[in-house]
Amino acid sequence: MLKVRLHREARDPGAVRALPLAEGAAPPAPLRAAAAAARFTGKAGQVVESLVPAPRTLLVGAGPGAAPLDWERAGGEAAAHAGEGTRVLALDARGLPPGAAAALAAGACLRAWRFERHRTRDVKPGLERLELIVDRPRDVAPFWQRAAAAVRGCLLARDLVAEPANRLSPAAFAERMEGLAAHGLAVEVLGPKRLARLGFGALLAVGGGSANPPHLVVLRWKGTTGAAPVVFVGKGITFDTGGVSIKPAAGMEEMRADMAGAAACAGAMLALALRGSPAPAAAVLALAENAVGAASYRPGDVLRTLSGRTVEVLDTDAEGRLVLADALHYAATRLRPRAIVDVATLTGAIVTALGHHRAGLFATDAALAAQLAAAGEAVGEPVWPMPIGERHREDLRSDIADLRQCAPHGSGVWGGRFLPDACHAAAFLREFAEGVPWAHLDIAGVELRREADALGIKGASGFGARLLDALVAMRFEEAEG
Amino acid sequence: MLEIAFVKPDALPRAGALVLLAAEVESAAAAAPPQGLGQRADEATGGAIGRALQAAGFKGRKGQSATVWAPGAGLTKVVAVGLGKAAELSPEAAEAAGATLLPAVSSDAEATVSAEHLPPALAVALAMGAVLRAYRFDRYRTKEKEEDKPKLQRLTVVTGEPDAARSAWAAQEAVAKGVYLARDLVTEPPNVLNPAEMAERCRQLEALGVEVEILGPKEMRKLGFGALLGVAQGSENEPRTVVMRWMGRSGGGGGKGRRNSEAAAATRPLAFLGKGVTFDTGGISIKPAQGMEEMKWDMAGAATVVGLMAALAGRKAKADAVGLVGLVENMPSGKAQRPGDVVKSYSGQTIEVINTDAEGRLVLADLLWYCQEKYDPRFMVDLATLTGAIIISLGHEHAGLFSNDDELAQRLLAAGLAVGEKCWRMPLGEAYDKQLKSDIADMKNVGGRPGGSITAAQFLQRFTNGKPWAHLDIAGTAWASKDQGSTPKGATAFGVRLLDRLVAEHYEG
Repeated sequence: MLKVRLHREARDPGAVRALPLAEGAAPPAPLRAAAAAARFTGKAGQVVESLVPAPRTLLVGAGPGAAPLDWERAGGEAAAHAGEGTRVLALDARGLPPGAAAALAAGACLRAWRFERHRTRDVKPGLERLELIVDRPRDVAPFWQRAAAAVRGCLLARDLVAEPANRLSPAAFAERMEGLAAHGLAVEVLGPKRLARLGFGALLAVGGGSANPPHLVVLRWKGTTGAAPVVFVGKGITFDTGGVSIKPAAGMEEMRADMAGAAACAGAMLALALRGSPAPAAAVLALAENAVGAASYRPGDVLRTLSGRTVEVLDTDAEGRLVLADALHYAATRLRPRAIVDVATLTGAIVTALGHHRAGLFATDAALAAQLAAAGEAVGEPVWPMPIGERHREDLRSDIADLRQCAPHGSGVWGGRFLPDACHAAAFLREFAEGVPWAHLDIAGVELRREADALGIKGASGFGARLLDALVAMRFEEAEG
Repeated sequence: MLEIAFVKPDALPRAGALVLLAAEVESAAAAAPPQGLGQRADEATGGAIGRALQAAGFKGRKGQSATVWAPGAGLTKVVAVGLGKAAELSPEAAEAAGATLLPAVSSDAEATVSAEHLPPALAVALAMGAVLRAYRFDRYRTKEKEEDKPKLQRLTVVTGEPDAARSAWAAQEAVAKGVYLARDLVTEPPNVLNPAEMAERCRQLEALGVEVEILGPKEMRKLGFGALLGVAQGSENEPRTVVMRWMGRSGGGGGKGRRNSEAAAATRPLAFLGKGVTFDTGGISIKPAQGMEEMKWDMAGAATVVGLMAALAGRKAKADAVGLVGLVENMPSGKAQRPGDVVKSYSGQTIEVINTDAEGRLVLADLLWYCQEKYDPRFMVDLATLTGAIIISLGHEHAGLFSNDDELAQRLLAAGLAVGEKCWRMPLGEAYDKQLKSDIADMKNVGGRPGGSITAAQFLQRFTNGKPWAHLDIAGTAWASKDQGSTPKGATAFGVRLLDRLVAEHYEG
């Protein structure tokens, strides 16, 4: 992440200046002519570079400038346009409320994130430092601390999602999680032997085909309210070949991101720890690689899940719901949660339904769903409520087991080509939440940015980390009432 | 259609089937014939009915039924039907009971339902469930055996207030007729029901007092329906646009002479539009063969609008409504539209046709613009079997609802819940709209797989001219693959009752 300093005035003479302006706000006198010539109105996304008079200054549109998100996006645009070779950006937030100033810096940090670890030559230097110019640094500092925690959580998630699968096996993922102990999180790692002893039949089956065995990670944040924890459950398939029901080759490389749910949960936990949230929270990460191997599980297999329920496998590529089934049951029965939110790149169907602009939200608790939706809007990670109907559950009846993991193709109308698989998956997961208030975010389609925007480059988005952090801030920081 | 007779609780029927309705009890041992006709039948048969129900484990659960054959007293059978918990008794539960009882008595010549314990509104709901469940389409069966055909012509419903029930039923019967009409149209094979034939069937609504206007290809060419005509050009069967007007409030005068703008708003008609692709091969972007026969119901949106207009006129609804249906057949041929073609819609906006199988939105584009321009409606609701993506999104239990108007959307959701035709609201937004950007025209007709139903709705929204509008994507709900409640397997007519309810609830009187 960028090094951020709060100052009253720009200090680095080599810094590129950026001046964010809301629609209708007048640019300062020296820049007025340039702004008028370039028809700068303050519209969101508008950036005008003024070279004379020195120093080089970017006028950045903040749109209505009403919500923190408007300022975040302006900060992001400033970072995006800082120019190649620029090391230091001075963001002028004077005259803005402290929340808006912090949002500017957060946006710049999100947009400036890069993943260059695996390049060995010709690495272009990027932004390194940010000077946030404010009237009263002391007033802005607490706002920035809070925002920075969420940004660091998001960037942790992005780093994990971007990491290729040969570098991030389930064991490697677990090892990285152990590093979070330094921030005050309690970290527990359950390896394959313990998982077998405890009866994680679904997680072990999914990971069975890989030389890299599955792991379960539990992260705990104690908090101070003494309430029952809110628990996040993340799907962490470090690579998904589809297994025996193997995926088509085109685009399969994106399946290294199939652990984005687990990454988002880890990111959220880091954010809570960094900002010292009073809310008790925990995360359960189900980590496995879905590979093709001699010990792979098969379509037709019946698995005994941790809950004791048996599940008939129809499609080994619907593995996410299986590892989540065990993780959800573990969370619901071992952690005594107040609420559970699971996050998973679960289905292609949700991409067909909502595209790349919103995640699917399924829930058994209306208040929790409403809070998640509000949190998503606030941080620019929008979700949309989706149904779990009676028919969806009926479709999961198995001929030989307690339930089947998905519905078979080829039956019903339209030649059976169209299945509401996201709804089926949610209906399946609900069984394993064991009656705890529960919500499920299907983030397939939003875990990667298809193209750069104000808050990030193309690639890993970190979707979910900031959303969950915002959810906790909005709903879980007061003692249970 | 099954005839319904409401009668006072009088003597026991002397023949045929007797249906008893029972609320749920804790255990089968507690099951007893309900008071009134039930107890009298039990006494007349020496307690045989009560014993039989206990032996059958009948508890009165919703959807449960038990048949006692030839219990005596001249009855061929007694059928007990569960109503579910007494505290949860609702029109929905009564309709479900009606749907449950129907198959059990359809082979009887006479059947009587003992509903004297139900308020008349619930007796009517029960009748509706039975009538809707009794729908059959047997026009093309020539060799059905006599014993396989249903015999029941008339269902007698015993109620404490037959007059109240009768007058409530008159309106509901008109709605049921609308549902039947819509189901017939959807079920008709595509070689019979081409655009011209469907337009002729629309004309039959004139008998109900509906004004029917049919636009042929010449008129549409003159108007400039370039998007609709592009879809139709591959087929030998020429397209039609049918406009149906029911002026139940203004009587056709259109509220002339009124100056008050609020009154003027109230006299603007409600508009319903339907996609009527009588068969959809996909055109040059041809569909896979498997399941293609189901594409005969790609006119279900239009059929729903026709059924709705019949329902409104049949019950003399005090509302002005206009129904527009765009009827085309989408065929591949030497003169068919190609992927890559650019067409000019009636609105003047140009469309690059990327996929000829995304034809429904092209038809609706011209209809929507024409409707808002010509009728200045209070709102427009369109129905279309528009996208496979909506089935992947929601399945078969909910239709996708898209709207630029929150009040209208809320009303549609509520009306759908009330009649068991559920909708689920889906999002719209600029990010989705951008997916329609074309390199050479104002827009493309598809926005790619991601969010496929949403981009289809965004496309339609570009032809609403900002007027209040809602779009129901009924691709997943127009056809049922199995019997479900009052809807037998096949065409559902999803939307007729929902929209009738919407009108009745908010736009009459």
